[in-house]
Amino acid sequence: MSGPAAFALALVTTVLLIPVAWSEENKVVIGPRNLDLADGAQELLAGNAREGIELTLRGLQSAQGKREKEAALSNLCAGYIMIDKLDSALMYCNMLLLSNDRHWRGFNNRALIYVMRKEYEKAEKDLAMGQEINPNARTLKVVKGMFLDATHPVSPNIIIDDRKRKNAEVSVKEES
Amino acid sequence: MTTAGQTAVAAAACLAVASSAIVLADDSTRITRITHMEDSSSDRMPSVTAVPQYPEIARRDRIEGEATVCYTIDADGRICRPAVRRSSHKMFAKPALKAIKKSSYEPLQSNQEATVARTCRTFRFLLKPVAIEEIE
Repeated sequence: MSGPAAFALALVTTVLLIPVAWSEENKVVIGPRNLDLADGAQELLAGNAREGIELTLRGLQSAQGKREKEAALSNLCAGYIMIDKLDSALMYCNMLLLSNDRHWRGFNNRALIYVMRKEYEKAEKDLAMGQEINPNARTLKVVKGMFLDATHPVSPNIIIDDRKRKNAEVSVKEES
Repeated sequence: MTTAGQTAVAAAACLAVASSAIVLADDSTRITRITHMEDSSSDRMPSVTAVPQYPEIARRDRIEGEATVCYTIDADGRICRPAVRRSSHKMFAKPALKAIKKSSYEPLQSNQEATVARTCRTFRFLLKPVAIEEIE
C-alpha cells in the first residue's frame, strides 16, 4: 500500500465507534448495541479493511437510528478507500452526506476520494466545507496537505544565515 | 550519509562555503535547497554545517518562518551552550537547535586567540513552489 492508499489506513481513525455502554430503566447493557458495527470499526482501525467492510455492511442492515446508520456509512466510505474501491467509497460518502450535510468526516473522506481521482475542484469544496464544520480536525489538515501537494507542490528551501544581524536585515530588505 | 541525504546535498546551492561541509541534521526523503550565507568578517571557519529538516507539519500546512540559535565556539571548534534566541513558530525551534548541535567549526590555530563572544545562526525555513511536472 502506498501514497494516498496508505494514508487511508490512517484515515480510519475517523471511523465512528458506537457507544460501548447504555442503560434503559433497570436494565444495564455493557458493550455496544450493534456488535457488527463495533467489530467492523475495530477491524478497520486494525487495518483489516475487507473484514471491517463485511462486518460494517452487516451492521448497517441492523442499524437502529440515524447515528448508527451514519457511523456505518462513514466507516464504509473509509473502508472502501482503504482498498482503493473509490466508486463504492464515493457512494457511501454521498449517502452519508445526503443524510447529514454537517458531517465533517464525510467531507474529509470524500475530499480524499476526489484528491485520489484528481478531481481537485470538488476536493477543494469538500475540504472547505469540512474545515468550516471542524476547523481543528487533524485529518482534514492532512487531506488538505495532500490536496496542496497535488495542486501547489513546494519544496523546502532552507537558508542558513551566518551574517551579522545588521547586514542580514539590509540584505532582506534588498531581496524584498 | 544516506542516498536521500546525498541527493539533498547535491541539490544544495551553497554560497561561500568552500571549506565547510554541509550535512543534513536528519535523514530527509525530500530534496531540500540549501543556501549558506556566511559572515566573511567572522574569525571562525565552519567545519560542518548541519542543515535542519523542514518540519513535516509546517511543510504540510505551508508554514514558513525562521529560528535563530546563539552559541559560543570553543577552541576546538565545538559548539557550546546553544540556545534558541527566537523562533517565529515553535515548530522551527527544535530542528534549528538540533542542527546547531550537529555543527562544528575548524579548531583555532596556535597563533589564534579564542573569542568568548556568542555568535548566532539564523535558519530561514522557506517553501519554494515546484512545477507539477518536476514531481511526476
